[in-house]
Amino acid sequence: MKKIYISIFVLSAFTFTGCADDYLDVKQTETISTDDTELFNNDSGAKSFVVSIYSKFLDWDMSSFGWVGLASITSDDADKGSTPSDTGTDKDVLDALTYNASNPSAESTFNANYDGINRCNQALAILPKLDKADPALRERLMGEAKFLRAFMYFTLVKCYGGVPIVDRISSIPLSAEDKAMQLTRKSTADVYAFIEKDLTEAAAVLPNKSQYAADEKAKASKGAAYALLAKVNLYQKKWQKVIDNCNLVTGYAISPDYAKMFRLEGENDGESIFEINGVGSVPARGIQGYSNTQGVRDAWGWGFNQPSQSLVNAYEVGDVRKNATIIFRGTTLYDGRVIPVISEDDPNPRYNFKAYSSAYTSAWETDANIKYLRYAEVLLMKAEALNELGQTSEAIPLLNIIRHRAGLGDTPATSQAAVRTAIWKERRVELAFEFDRFFDLVRTGQAKDAFAADKSAAFPNGKVFTVGKNELFPIPSSFLLVAEGMSSQNPGYN
Amino acid sequence: MKNFIFSFLALLLLPTYMMGQAQAIKGKVVDSSGMGVPGAIISASESRASADADFDGNFIINAKVGETLKISMLGFDSVSITATSIPMTITLKEAGDTSLKEVVVIGYGTRKKIDNTSAITSLKAEDVTRTKVLNASQAIQGKAAGVQVTSSDAPGSTPSVVIRGLGTALGGRNPLYIVDGMPTENINNINTNDITSYEILKDASSLAIYGTRAANGVIIITTKKGKGDKISVEVESFGGVRTPLKKVKMADANQYASYSNASLGTNRFSTNQPVNTNWFDEITRTGTYTQNNISISGASENVKYFFSAGNYQEKAILNGLDYSRTSFRNNNEFKLSKKVTLNQNFSFTSANSTPKPLSAFTNAYKQSPIVPVRFANGQYGAPFADASGVASPKGTSFNNVGNPVSQLDFYNEQQRSITLQGGLKLDYEILEGLKFTSQFNGEYYTWKNYNFEDSKNAWLAANPTRKDGDYSSTDPINLLTRGREQYFNWNLSNYLTYNKVFAKIHDVELTAGIETSVKGPREKLVITRKNVSPDSNYWSLYNAKDAKGVDYSGTVTNLQDIVFNESKLASYFGRFQYKLMDRYLVTGTIRRDGSSNFAKDYRWGTFPSVGLGWIMTKESFLSDVKGVNLIKFRGSWGKLGNQNVPLNSQSYNSGLNSYLGGSILYEGTSITSQIDPTLTWEITEESSAGVDFEFLDSRLKGSFDVYNKNTDNVILYVKPYPTSGITTASPSHVGEVSNKGYEISLRWDDKITEDLSYWVGGNFSHNKNELTSLKDVSLSQVVGGNLGNGQDTKLLYNNSVGQPLGSFYLYEYAGVDPANGNMLYYNAAGAKVTQDALSATADKKYVGSILPKANYGISLGLVYKNIDFSVDGYGTGGAKVYNGKKAQRFGGENIEASMTNDYWTPTNTTSSNPRPFNTVPVASTYYMESADFFRINNITVGYKLPLKGDQFISSCRIYLNAINPFITQKFSGFSPELNADGDPYKLQGVELDAYPTLRSFVIGANLKF
Repeated sequence: MKKIYISIFVLSAFTFTGCADDYLDVKQTETISTDDTELFNNDSGAKSFVVSIYSKFLDWDMSSFGWVGLASITSDDADKGSTPSDTGTDKDVLDALTYNASNPSAESTFNANYDGINRCNQALAILPKLDKADPALRERLMGEAKFLRAFMYFTLVKCYGGVPIVDRISSIPLSAEDKAMQLTRKSTADVYAFIEKDLTEAAAVLPNKSQYAADEKAKASKGAAYALLAKVNLYQKKWQKVIDNCNLVTGYAISPDYAKMFRLEGENDGESIFEINGVGSVPARGIQGYSNTQGVRDAWGWGFNQPSQSLVNAYEVGDVRKNATIIFRGTTLYDGRVIPVISEDDPNPRYNFKAYSSAYTSAWETDANIKYLRYAEVLLMKAEALNELGQTSEAIPLLNIIRHRAGLGDTPATSQAAVRTAIWKERRVELAFEFDRFFDLVRTGQAKDAFAADKSAAFPNGKVFTVGKNELFPIPSSFLLVAEGMSSQNPGYN
Repeated sequence: MKNFIFSFLALLLLPTYMMGQAQAIKGKVVDSSGMGVPGAIISASESRASADADFDGNFIINAKVGETLKISMLGFDSVSITATSIPMTITLKEAGDTSLKEVVVIGYGTRKKIDNTSAITSLKAEDVTRTKVLNASQAIQGKAAGVQVTSSDAPGSTPSVVIRGLGTALGGRNPLYIVDGMPTENINNINTNDITSYEILKDASSLAIYGTRAANGVIIITTKKGKGDKISVEVESFGGVRTPLKKVKMADANQYASYSNASLGTNRFSTNQPVNTNWFDEITRTGTYTQNNISISGASENVKYFFSAGNYQEKAILNGLDYSRTSFRNNNEFKLSKKVTLNQNFSFTSANSTPKPLSAFTNAYKQSPIVPVRFANGQYGAPFADASGVASPKGTSFNNVGNPVSQLDFYNEQQRSITLQGGLKLDYEILEGLKFTSQFNGEYYTWKNYNFEDSKNAWLAANPTRKDGDYSSTDPINLLTRGREQYFNWNLSNYLTYNKVFAKIHDVELTAGIETSVKGPREKLVITRKNVSPDSNYWSLYNAKDAKGVDYSGTVTNLQDIVFNESKLASYFGRFQYKLMDRYLVTGTIRRDGSSNFAKDYRWGTFPSVGLGWIMTKESFLSDVKGVNLIKFRGSWGKLGNQNVPLNSQSYNSGLNSYLGGSILYEGTSITSQIDPTLTWEITEESSAGVDFEFLDSRLKGSFDVYNKNTDNVILYVKPYPTSGITTASPSHVGEVSNKGYEISLRWDDKITEDLSYWVGGNFSHNKNELTSLKDVSLSQVVGGNLGNGQDTKLLYNNSVGQPLGSFYLYEYAGVDPANGNMLYYNAAGAKVTQDALSATADKKYVGSILPKANYGISLGLVYKNIDFSVDGYGTGGAKVYNGKKAQRFGGENIEASMTNDYWTPTNTTSSNPRPFNTVPVASTYYMESADFFRINNITVGYKLPLKGDQFISSCRIYLNAINPFITQKFSGFSPELNADGDPYKLQGVELDAYPTLRSFVIGANLKF
C-alpha cells in the first residue's frame, strides 16, 4: 500500500514536470490576444481597425470639453460662459489667454490626438497582414487611416507647432530609435511635409463620398483628402496649390439652408465634406459631453463656450447665420423648445446652436455632429488664394455664393486688400463654432488686434494676445518631463 | 513496543513490591480535554521510584498507598496527589507558560515554536476576538510587531495589511492568506469566532516555502476543531453602538455667510440666516451592531467535530448603510484507521449590504449650512439663495454641491454575496515518521446586486426651479442595473513529510511536495434597463401567455458579459529542518513556481531560503543560570516572489464604438496597452536576524528582529510616453525598493497572588521604505492621489528615487502674503510666488509619504478572581495625510469653523489663513498634515460568573468592550487612518470621500454549556 502511494506521488511529480508548461498556458478570455489576429483577417475585421480611429473623435478628450476650451473659448468668437465661479477646470484661463504649461486642456488635446495617431499607425501596420480581406478594401482603409492621421497632425501642428512625428508602432522594450521618435519635436515644416504626404497618398486611393454606402457617409473620401490638403496649403500660403486642390474637390454643392445643415436632417448633406458623426439613439454613441457642456445652463447643460458679443457684432443685418449659430435667450427654437430668459443663476445670454441636439438635448452622447470640412470653406479657401495671387475678380463671385446663401447681397469689396478682409470676415461668420477662428486669427496675423477688440463685461479692455507666444499652445509639461531635454517648450511658456 | 517495555519494567519491579509495603500503583495522566499525556513523569519521593506515562498516558509506579506522587510534564503545571490502590486519573492543567511546547503553523506543517528558525507572530483566538470587529485583520492591529494594519470602519471593508514594509507599489501589495490550506485574498467571509490561530509569517525562512506569493508576507488562519470527550456548546452574543471618534467642526450658517461674502466681495448672503443645517448630523445616525454565534464541538475516539453558526448585523453611521453577514462552518476530523486521518472543513458565508456613496461625507463637508435639508415647500434643499441672501427654491445657485441627504435618499443599491469554502485533507502515515498529505481546497463565490436610479426625480430634486415638463422625453425616467459575479478557485497540494531522530541528537524533518493553485475565470454580467416599474416587485416579470420571461431587450441600455482571465500556478517545494542536540537549528527551503501570468520563457522562478538558529539556553554554561529561561538566536536569508499582475499578453481592445453615418454601430479594434513581454517574477531578497528571550521564570518575554528586504525588480504600472498614444498603464519592472527595519516586542506576565495576575506588553517596529533606484528611464510617471478638481498629490517618477513609496509631491506653501492675503508658495528658486506663477515641472517637491515609519502597540491587562480587564493601544508615526476634502473649496462651499474666525483682511494682515478665495487651490503642503496618532483600540472588562463546572452552564463571561474610546491625533480631519482602496497611489492617505473612524461601546456575553 505504502509503495503505491509513493509511486503515485513520484509519478505525479513527473507528469507535472512534463506538462507543466502546457498546463500553465491559459486561454485568455478578457481580451483577444494579438496572437489571434487571424480572427480579424476578413473584411469586417479589417474595417474595425479603422473604425477605432473614427471612434476616437467621439471621445471626451479628443473633441469635447478640452478641445472646445482650447480651440473655441480661446477665440474672440466665444467666452467661457457658465457662471463666473465655475472655471470648468481651466476655461477661465483659456478665455483670458493666461494659460500656462500645465494647462489641462492643452495636455488632453495633445494626448488624445496621439492616441488617435497610434490607432492610425496600428491600422497601417496590421492591414497589410490581413491577406484574406478584399485588397481594394484594404487599400481604401489604408487611405482612410492616412487621412485621419494627417487630420490629427494638422490639429497638432496648428496648436503646438512642430511635434514628434510618430509614424509607426513600436515594440517593447523600446529601441533607442523609437524612443527618439516619440520624444523629439520635429520642425513645423517637417510636420507639414508629413501631412501633405499622407494626404496625397490618401487622395490617390480614397473613393468619392458618393461611392460610400449611406451608412458610411461620414468616412474619409477623396474630396475630404483634397479639401484638407488645400487647407494645409492655405496655412503654408502655398496659394496655387490651394487652388489646385480646391479644384479637385468635386461632387459637392452649397446647401440652400444654412441653419438646417446643423440639424439632424443636414447630417452628411451635399455640402458636408468631413464631419464627426454622433448618434444619440440607444445605444448612444456621440461626442461625449459635447452638447451637454455647451447646453443651456440649468436647463440641460453646463453653459460653456458662450458666443461672444464680438461675434454677434460681426454679423451683418439680415445674415441668417446669426440665429443659426447662436441660441439667444427668450427665443423659441425650430423644434418648439423655449429658451428661458436670463437669470442670475444662469447669466449666459447666448449659447452655441451648433452643439444643440433637438432629440437628445441633455444626453451625454447626442446626435450633434462637428462639421470639420464643408464645401463653403473650399470656396472661401479658393477665393482667398485667388485673391492673394491677384485674381481678385475671380475671387469675388466665390465669396458672393456664400453671402447669397446667408441672405446677404454681393460684397462691396473690390480691392485686393478689401477682398482679403472680406474673405477673412466671411470665414468668421460662416465657420463660427467650427473650431477655425482661433487658428485663422493666428494664420492671418489678425490675432493681436482682434483680441484687443474682444471686449465684454469680464474683459472691458479686451484681451492681450502676446505676439511670439500665443500663436501656439504650450507643449504639455508632462511630455517635456519625460522628454528629458530631447524636446523643448514653445516660446513664452516655462 | 513501549507498552512492552513498561510491562517489562513492571515485571522487573515486581520483586520489590513483593518484598515491602510498596505496590504497583496504576493510573492515567490526562490533559484538560481528557487526552492521555504521554511521557509524563511520575515520581514517588518516599519510595524513591519514578515512572513515565506511556503513549496513552497510562503508568504504573511502585509506591506506597497514601504516599504523595508528583506528576510533572513539560508544558503542564506539576501536580501532587496521594497514591491510591484503585487506578487513578490525574488531570494535568496546561501551564500558563507554554512557550516550550507551543506549536505554530508553518507552511505545509506545524512545528514547535522553539524549533523554528523563523520570525512568526502567532496570535490566538482570544487576540483575534477581543476587539469586536468584522475582519480578524482589523482586530490584530497593533498586536504584532512589523505588521501595519490600516483599516476603515466602513462596514464590509477590507483592511490593508503590510508586513515589514511595502515592497511593491502596485503589483499586488496584500499578503497571502492561507485559510485552512486555501490561498485567498480576503478573509471578510471568515467569522472571527471560528479562528483558533492567526499566524503571521514575516521572514524569508518561513515565507520561501510559499515562494510564489510570499513577498508581501503570508497569514495562515486555522479554524477550530472539536476537542474534549463530550459535546460542548458555546454561545457568544454582543451588541454595540458606534459613533464617529472625531468630528470636524464646520462653520455655522452665519459664519458661512460672512466668510462667503468676504470671498465674493459682495453682500450676497444675509448674516442673519434662518437655517443652520449641520449636514454631517443630517446624514449620520448612531450606528449599531450585533453579533450572535453558537458553536457545538466535541470529539470521540475517531471523530472530532465542530459546528458553528454566526450572524453579524450592522447599521452603519451613514444613513441607510446596512451590512449583515451570516456564516456557517463545519470542521471534522475522522480517524479512518490508525494511519489515515481525514480532515474536512466547509464554510458558508452570506453577506448582504445596502451600500451608500461615501462621497456623501464630502458633500456634507462642502454643502453650505444655510441650505435646509428640505425647503418649506417640501422640495429638497439646494444651494439657491434669493435676493435677501437666504436659501430659497426661487433663488439662484451659489455652489455646485449636491444635497447629501437627497444623495443618500436617491441612492438605492443592494448587494448580496455567498462564499463557500471547503477542503479535504488526507494524512497517511506510510511508515513511522513518513507521512503523505494530500489536500484539496476550493472556494466558490457568487455575488449579485441591483442599483436603481430614480433619474428623473433626482434631476428634479437637484434644482428646485426645474419643472416636470422640462425633463427630456428621451432621457430615462429611471435606470435599473443588475450585476452578477461568480468564480471558483481551487488548490491541490500533495506532499511527503519525513521525521526521524538519528542517534538521539540529529532531529531531521524533510518535506517535499507539489502544488497547483488555480484562480478560475471570474464571470461578470451587468445589465442596465431603463424605465422599469418603480415597484421593485415588478422588475422581472414572467409572461404566462408565451410561457417565458418578458422580453426587455428594447429597454436595455447597457449589457456587459465578461469572463476574466484565469490564472494558474504550478509549484514544487521542499524543506529540510534539522535540529542538532536540541539547540542548533537549520532550515532550508526551496520552491520552484511557474505562473501562467507571464510569457512562456519568463514564467518560472526559484525561491530558496536558509535559516539558522541557536538555543543558547540549552548550552550547559547557561542551563543553570537563574533568571535566564530562554535565549534563542535566529537568522535567515531567502528570496521571495510576487506575481500578482494581470495576464501578460498583448491584446486587442474590441467593441462597438462608432457610427459612420446611418444607424449601423460599427465595431472598432485597437491595441490600447503596451505589454512588456519580458515581464517576470518580482523578487524580494530578505536577510534578517532575531533573538527571542525569556527571563525571570519566563515572566519577561520578548524578541528583537532586524531585517533588510530588497526588491530589485519592482513591478509598477507605468504609462508609455504620451506620444505613443497608449494611455493605459501596464506592469513593468522599473525599480528597486528597499525596506529596512527592526521590531521589538516585550511582555511581562506575573501573578501577584493566586487571585491576581497581570500582564503588560508592547511592540514597536520601525521601517524605512525607500525607492532606491529606477532602472528603466524610458517609462512614464505615475501621477496619483487625484482630488477630482484637476489637482494631483502624489508622484512616482524618476525623481522619486530616494523617496519612500506613496510620497506626496506638492508645492511648498509659504504662507499668506500680508499685502493681499493670497496664498504664497516657494518656487524652485526659493522665492515666494502665487499659484499662477508656479511651474508645473520645476516647483513641486517631495514632502513625505503616506507610509508610517513607525508602528507601535501596547497591551496590558489584569485578572482578579473572576474579573478580567485589558487595554490595547495602537499608534503610528512619521506618515503624512492630505486633507483632500478641505482642498475642495473653490467657491461657495462650506469651510471649517476655525477658518472663519481668523483670515486675512486688510485689517488683519498677519493671519495664517488666506483671504477667502474662489479658485481651485494648487495641491500644496498647506493641506498636508501629520498622520501621527495614538489610539486606545480597545478596553475590555469581563466578569466570569462563579459557576461550578458541573452545572448546565459551565461558564459564563459577561463583558464590556470599548473600541477606539480615545485618540490623540495631529490631523484636523476625521481620521488619520485612511485606507481608501489600499492603493498608495490613489486616495490612500488622502481624506476625501472617507469613512470616519468610529468609537464603539459593546456589551456581550459568552456562555459555555
